[in-house]
Amino acid sequence: MNLEPVAQNLVFGLFVGGLYGIAAVGLSLVFGVQKVLNVAHGSLIMLGGYASFWIFTWYGIDPFLAIAITGPLLFAFGLVLYFGLFRFVTRLREEERIKNSLLISFGLTLVLENVAIQLWTADERAITTSYAGEGTTIGDIAFPYTRVAGLIVAAICVFALHAFLTRTFAGKAIRATSEDWEAASLMGINVQRTYAVAFAIGTALAGIAGALVGVSYLIAPSIGLAWTLKALVVVVLAGMGSIMGAFFAGVLLGLAEALSIYVFGTSYREVVGLVLFVLVLLVRPQGLFGRR
Amino acid sequence: MLELEANDIYVSYGDLTALWGVSLQVHQGEIVVLIGPNGAGKTTLMRAIAGLQPPYRGNILFDGESVHQMRAHQLVERGVVLIPEGRRLFAGMSVLDNLMLGAYAPKARKALAETFDRVYTIFPVLAERRGQAAGTLSGGQQQMLAIGRALMAQPRLLLLDEPSLGLAPLVVADIFDVLRQINADGVTVLLAEQNARMALELAHRAYILEEGRVSGEGTGREMLEADHVRRAYLGQVTPLEEAAGP
Amino acid sequence: MLASGLAERVAYQRWTRLAKPAVISFFVIAALLVPQFTDRRDTLNLLFLVYLYIAMAQSWNILAGYAGQINLGHAAFFGVGAWTTRGLWTDEDVPFFLAFLMGGLVAMVFAIFFGLVTFRLRGVYFAIGTLALAEALRITVANLLPNIESLPGPTIARYELEPRYYLALGLTLFAAATVWILPRTRVSLGILAVREDEVAAEASGVNPLIHKLIALALSSFFAGLAGATFAFYHVSYYPAFTFSAVWTFDAVLATFIGGIGTVVGPIVGGSFFIIVRERLAVSLVEVHQIFFGVLFIVVVLMLPGGLVEAWFRLRRLVVRLLR
Repeated sequence: MNLEPVAQNLVFGLFVGGLYGIAAVGLSLVFGVQKVLNVAHGSLIMLGGYASFWIFTWYGIDPFLAIAITGPLLFAFGLVLYFGLFRFVTRLREEERIKNSLLISFGLTLVLENVAIQLWTADERAITTSYAGEGTTIGDIAFPYTRVAGLIVAAICVFALHAFLTRTFAGKAIRATSEDWEAASLMGINVQRTYAVAFAIGTALAGIAGALVGVSYLIAPSIGLAWTLKALVVVVLAGMGSIMGAFFAGVLLGLAEALSIYVFGTSYREVVGLVLFVLVLLVRPQGLFGRR
Repeated sequence: MLELEANDIYVSYGDLTALWGVSLQVHQGEIVVLIGPNGAGKTTLMRAIAGLQPPYRGNILFDGESVHQMRAHQLVERGVVLIPEGRRLFAGMSVLDNLMLGAYAPKARKALAETFDRVYTIFPVLAERRGQAAGTLSGGQQQMLAIGRALMAQPRLLLLDEPSLGLAPLVVADIFDVLRQINADGVTVLLAEQNARMALELAHRAYILEEGRVSGEGTGREMLEADHVRRAYLGQVTPLEEAAGP
Repeated sequence: MLASGLAERVAYQRWTRLAKPAVISFFVIAALLVPQFTDRRDTLNLLFLVYLYIAMAQSWNILAGYAGQINLGHAAFFGVGAWTTRGLWTDEDVPFFLAFLMGGLVAMVFAIFFGLVTFRLRGVYFAIGTLALAEALRITVANLLPNIESLPGPTIARYELEPRYYLALGLTLFAAATVWILPRTRVSLGILAVREDEVAAEASGVNPLIHKLIALALSSFFAGLAGATFAFYHVSYYPAFTFSAVWTFDAVLATFIGGIGTVVGPIVGGSFFIIVRERLAVSLVEVHQIFFGVLFIVVVLMLPGGLVEAWFRLRRLVVRLLR
């Protein structure tokens, strides 16, 4: 049997898995720290994609380099969203908080998606760089530059987040707050500000994921729901508490989807993830890496 | 000099009032102890002073400044540090990280190296186990970490809620020795304790809190000798006295 | 409204007890008579949509408002109902009314299996689990039935709007009546107990799963009937569209904005939703979604009882000002 198409397929699964991973890490961070379930996360990815697209179209800046702009831009937007909206749910108890943040972010998704339609039409966009079609080949397997760069950027961002959380004061404060917010406030940590920063980081990561999606796939106002669902699937697979695990779970899902087409065919690729999601919820709710 | 003043404070949890017009004073350099039965409101009072549970009536002054509307982190910046009931360490994080987080406030962070030295001198066991996850320490070691963490914030007023909870008597004695030492170094201490005897022996002054109200006040010595206190909190009840009622 | 004395208060209560049924009867009779007074297709179409959305909101509300379960897979029942009815009616030549009922029943049976799986999840996990399953179903349907589904020629020739209007109206009245009777049944006590505190309910001998399934069965029955109505109304449509999450989300919006957990809420919400949508769609594309998104957020944050609560608060304010 010719293994090369399988290998090629797996390699592409790896690349898309990296995107799933970075998409999920942002969602996992926000949920893990403050128990806010932001289903507008996919719409934030969409916004990041558009930001990248317009920066590329108007100023010709390469989308990977532009992350230095789109990242902080979405970070700032995340602060606005937190102080304008999500801060009001943080005074609720955990169960109420999760339910209300789900509902509010659903409303937010509607708003963001349709504002995007107003501003930029419902047309699909793709960021086509000069090196778009090129790549290297190892054996007979193609490694397009855009996809490789996407995976590398995603990995770098996620590991940078890990370093931030484990080695910096601010990062440790975020971890402490997610473990026990009252005890954290007794250390002199401003809990509201910590929540805001964590939320903004999550948004920035979504924005970066959006830039990567724009290069490898398509950006349109409607992609929000699909990406939110994908990120949710990965977060649940990894386990709700595990932020770094979300990246690896994303990669695993990408590989699993790639393999699944040999069993279920390409048109059921998405279904595999969704069904796997429900199965994990039923059988092992703490996920693959979760501790609860 | 009066460092902490609570004036006629009322604290409630929703519809349930836990403190009814409680007033107390703590002078600089004192060790003041709160004794009283379970559910009397000692924890509520500590939380109110620390900024976790603001009173709906009355005020709290620290060093003359009105603080009862402030949030907990603002009180830490002013030097009011609470070691809560059950210690509430960050169990998943290392001893070192827990200590570092204690020094989160800007002023404390500048003096980080110094305070680390100080804490490691008082609690050498923390230096030995600095990489260990806080949740894996023994009860006594956890209490030491909790106190060490609080010291990292360079407190002027240290609040402790039931430090002896779940600890063996020998360990409790060690902890209280440490508190005496900290106090000698200039930190004012306010301590809520179930273990009345040891706490009163340590205290300069004490208050009795019963059913959300202050029902008694005096020096440590006075309290140790008061009949009511002896009967209710020091376990010195004769069968005759018990039969006759409180 | 200025009832200050006892006599006045009794008179006021008697008045409202007569007024409410009178107002309801007025609206029902008016709705029944509309097609007799107008031939305008756009009016009938608009009202059809209003009734359809009210029915969808009512059905979603049964599970969400009364049983406290946020089901984001509601569209699946709509789709199953539409597919069943359309198939039986056009392909199998089953008389329409039977096909219509089967739409509801098949959706209900499907929902029970759906519930047996998903009710093992609690709270938000139930919400996202149902969404995932419904989406998986939609993608599967899109793969299996990619072609547009159209009525055969002769049926199109015989197409009349009036029966469709009355079907939708009948459905919505049936749904409203059910929702009105529900709190007056014994079963609803159990359902409400499960909503308030599942653990406590179980400890009192109320089986949470059975009660949730009962609420789900009712909810899905009406959603299936709504789908069947859709299948009767449209000349052609894409089957996968009837499974699209948009049917869930519109029901969620209408219910919350109207007032979750009340009988009137979905009626107000559904009407408001369709009328505003049609008005706004004339001027700017998709602006209505932004409007509803913002309104929804406002409702969740500040006005959990929706427009119904707003109405009561306004009335109390007016009473207080007049005193």
